[in-house]
Amino acid sequence: MNRILLPGLCGLLLGMPPVSAAASPGFEQANRQFQAGDCAAAAAAYEKILAADGARAAVFYNLGNSYQRLGQYGHAILAYERARLLTPRDPDLLANLALARKAAAAFEENGNHPRLDAAVNYLSRNEWSWLVAGAALFLGGLAVLGGVLGMPRSGMRQTALTAAGMAALAIMAGATALYHRRDEASRGVVLTENAAVRLSPFDKAETLGSPGLGRTVHIRSHNGGFHYIEVPGTHLHGWLPIKDVAAIMPEMSRNERE
Amino acid sequence: MTAMAGAAVLLLAALLIGRATAADVEARLDRDSVPAGEGANLTLRISGGRAGRPEIPEVANLIVQPNGQSQQMQIINGTTTVSVIYQYAVGSHTPGDYQIPAINVTVDGQKLVTQPLKLKVLAAGAGQPPAGVPPNAGGPQPVGDGEGDAGGKRFGFLTISPVAKDRKYVYVGEIAPVCIQAWIPADARAQLRSGIQPEGKAFTLHHVSERPQQTYQIKDGKRYLVVTWFGGISATKAGNYPASLSVDATVAVRDTSTPKPRRRMGGPFNDPFFDSFFDDMSVPMIQKNVTLKSDDQEIEVRPLPTAARPNGFTGAVGDFTIDAWEMPAAWQTGEPQQIDARLSGSGNFALMNTPDLTPADAWKVYPSKGEFTAGDNASFSGSKRFQFSAMPRKGGAQDVALTFSFFNPNAGAYETITSPVKKIHVTGPDIADDKPAALPPATEPAKKMEDGKLVAQHQTMSPQTSLVPLVSRPAFIPLLAAGGALCLLGLVLARVRVRLRDPQRSARVACDRATRLALLAANRCAATSDVAGFFAAARLAIQQQLGALWNQPAQAITLAEILTRIPDDSPVARFFREADRQAYSHPNTGNIPPQWRTLLANALACLTNIAR
Repeated sequence: MNRILLPGLCGLLLGMPPVSAAASPGFEQANRQFQAGDCAAAAAAYEKILAADGARAAVFYNLGNSYQRLGQYGHAILAYERARLLTPRDPDLLANLALARKAAAAFEENGNHPRLDAAVNYLSRNEWSWLVAGAALFLGGLAVLGGVLGMPRSGMRQTALTAAGMAALAIMAGATALYHRRDEASRGVVLTENAAVRLSPFDKAETLGSPGLGRTVHIRSHNGGFHYIEVPGTHLHGWLPIKDVAAIMPEMSRNERE
Repeated sequence: MTAMAGAAVLLLAALLIGRATAADVEARLDRDSVPAGEGANLTLRISGGRAGRPEIPEVANLIVQPNGQSQQMQIINGTTTVSVIYQYAVGSHTPGDYQIPAINVTVDGQKLVTQPLKLKVLAAGAGQPPAGVPPNAGGPQPVGDGEGDAGGKRFGFLTISPVAKDRKYVYVGEIAPVCIQAWIPADARAQLRSGIQPEGKAFTLHHVSERPQQTYQIKDGKRYLVVTWFGGISATKAGNYPASLSVDATVAVRDTSTPKPRRRMGGPFNDPFFDSFFDDMSVPMIQKNVTLKSDDQEIEVRPLPTAARPNGFTGAVGDFTIDAWEMPAAWQTGEPQQIDARLSGSGNFALMNTPDLTPADAWKVYPSKGEFTAGDNASFSGSKRFQFSAMPRKGGAQDVALTFSFFNPNAGAYETITSPVKKIHVTGPDIADDKPAALPPATEPAKKMEDGKLVAQHQTMSPQTSLVPLVSRPAFIPLLAAGGALCLLGLVLARVRVRLRDPQRSARVACDRATRLALLAANRCAATSDVAGFFAAARLAIQQQLGALWNQPAQAITLAEILTRIPDDSPVARFFREADRQAYSHPNTGNIPPQWRTLLANALACLTNIAR
């Protein structure tokens, strides 16, 4: 029984969508352009790769570096944040993101519970959700096995109960983390330095203030050419032109919806 | 007795010593104006000797009511002073300017006089400046709930005042400590329905103390319950912005518009001035949901200067010091270890990041978020502990220190503090810088790139995946539902399996089946007029049911056994008796009479009752 349960549990805990890594001549070419100092061409090449091949953490990271070299800190922070959705524990990424924030003077306030935040942010939301779904399926499978075969004898029973407890714990931890980070789906990054938040979604509406370049905001709704945004930690909220802010997690494509 | 004698000696000694000090008398009013119908507090302090009760000179239309007497003894630098304090309530129903003449007091035969005092009695309900404070003096003026000054103050008001009064501006990111006070009339009942909220959009309120202090204070001749919080406000953008706070409250105050009851006889004091206090007690209360607001107070928010901004500045605003830091003495290049540092001070700790390790080019630091420990109720001061990992790049003996840069709003300048130097030894070869080799300058110069610590590009392509997490995809809910459904299915299967494997249930099913077969056989015998067969099959059916009920073999259920358990006139006993009679008599053929069928039906029904 152990031979079945333990690998199954590990497999489900680490269950991830099928991925494939492949060398790309375009990627190497972009890297060479970056090393040659042609950061604008490198950034364009990375954007092209992302449009053609889909999201890849390394491409987002290198794109962020290119924008940072170009002094476009809003775009750099956006690219790093997108990379962080995929590789949340990459220390190089975190270091460069901190550099970009510092350069843009977009200082983010730390939470009141740093240990809880660190634990909750250790996995990406995708990893947490796969953990929850995998653990739920594993627990269900275990329940069906138990229902069909009955409770195993002493040694196996201990293993089965431990596995079930771990799965339940994983579900609780994952659900807590996902609830704690429920606002992340709406996060966006301000791309321009003097982006003006307006009272209503019109170009000539009263200006309420500027969140600042590279600042992380919450995008709540759309109206015409404007996003309704809220700046965390402040009372600044209003309408920001779409060109001035970009969602970190883009809307799902039709394929992803289906 | 000894203790009393000691105390008497001590008091006598104190009085004797007190004689040595100069006699003094002082009269003081706690405010210089009072509304008609209310009283001010007059304090007359006589020190340095013994005196009789002083007499307050009479003033036309001014009511003076003794309000108590106390004694105070002070020992300062070995000199003891005994003071007797007399309290009086002074007021009038007639508005006007009154002067309380000098009060004559004889202290140990020495005649002393006080200064004359002035008291202004205002018309009832008229606004008045605070005691001792000129009208429109500096500082925030409270406003109420939008009903005008009188109406607003009636239900209370809110004030906000900076703790540091010497500065009229704040910097972006600075948390300026403020004192927030809710003034509720002392005779009102109030319940706060919300926390303190900033009114404007430019400021954010931080760290409001969870347990406010409560005191009673007199303001403008009126007694208030003052609830005091401490907190901090910070701004996110530069400019001049109004700072105002509000709190929702339900306040019940006495309805002074209700006519007071008329007295045929005098009140308990036979004085309309003091009896009005008791009249107030009978006035009904009116309750209202109000928003207590502070006055809009414009605050200048200055941007952090860009000039002379240190490279290591990460946004911390305040005044900080490096309390302590620890790091291992032995290191190896490429192997990270943990460093522990604690910074303390006052300011915006949320913007405080990991201090820098110097020399910077010899280390790669992995920043941490730090753990904050508040040093006061408002979390304005405290300490933050960082436990972060660092990896040495260069070998050999090194002098290492921590540096931390912040903006000090009090000094209006950036400051960089450095910890004491620690000597460490790093073994192993130097690690090449992981920046791109021979990186040429960017074609477009970076605007704010100060240090070039950018970590190098990733050279290998990572696998393709989606930015949209599973939780945001439609497949997530069906996956969870499938897990839940599997769990339910497992429970159902387990229950079915338990039922199928229950020996009692199996025995019951077998018994029911055998009973059914026996009754079918009895019916067949009845159809063929086989009386003996009918009774034998029917008796077997009943025996099986009773055997299952009494946990005995069916063959052991006899008439004798039945009679020990159930009454002998029951249908079961009667059927068994008839069956025995038929079994032991001559073979009987012919039709089964209806009464036997009825008896069998009754016996089977009786079995159901026995089972219940």
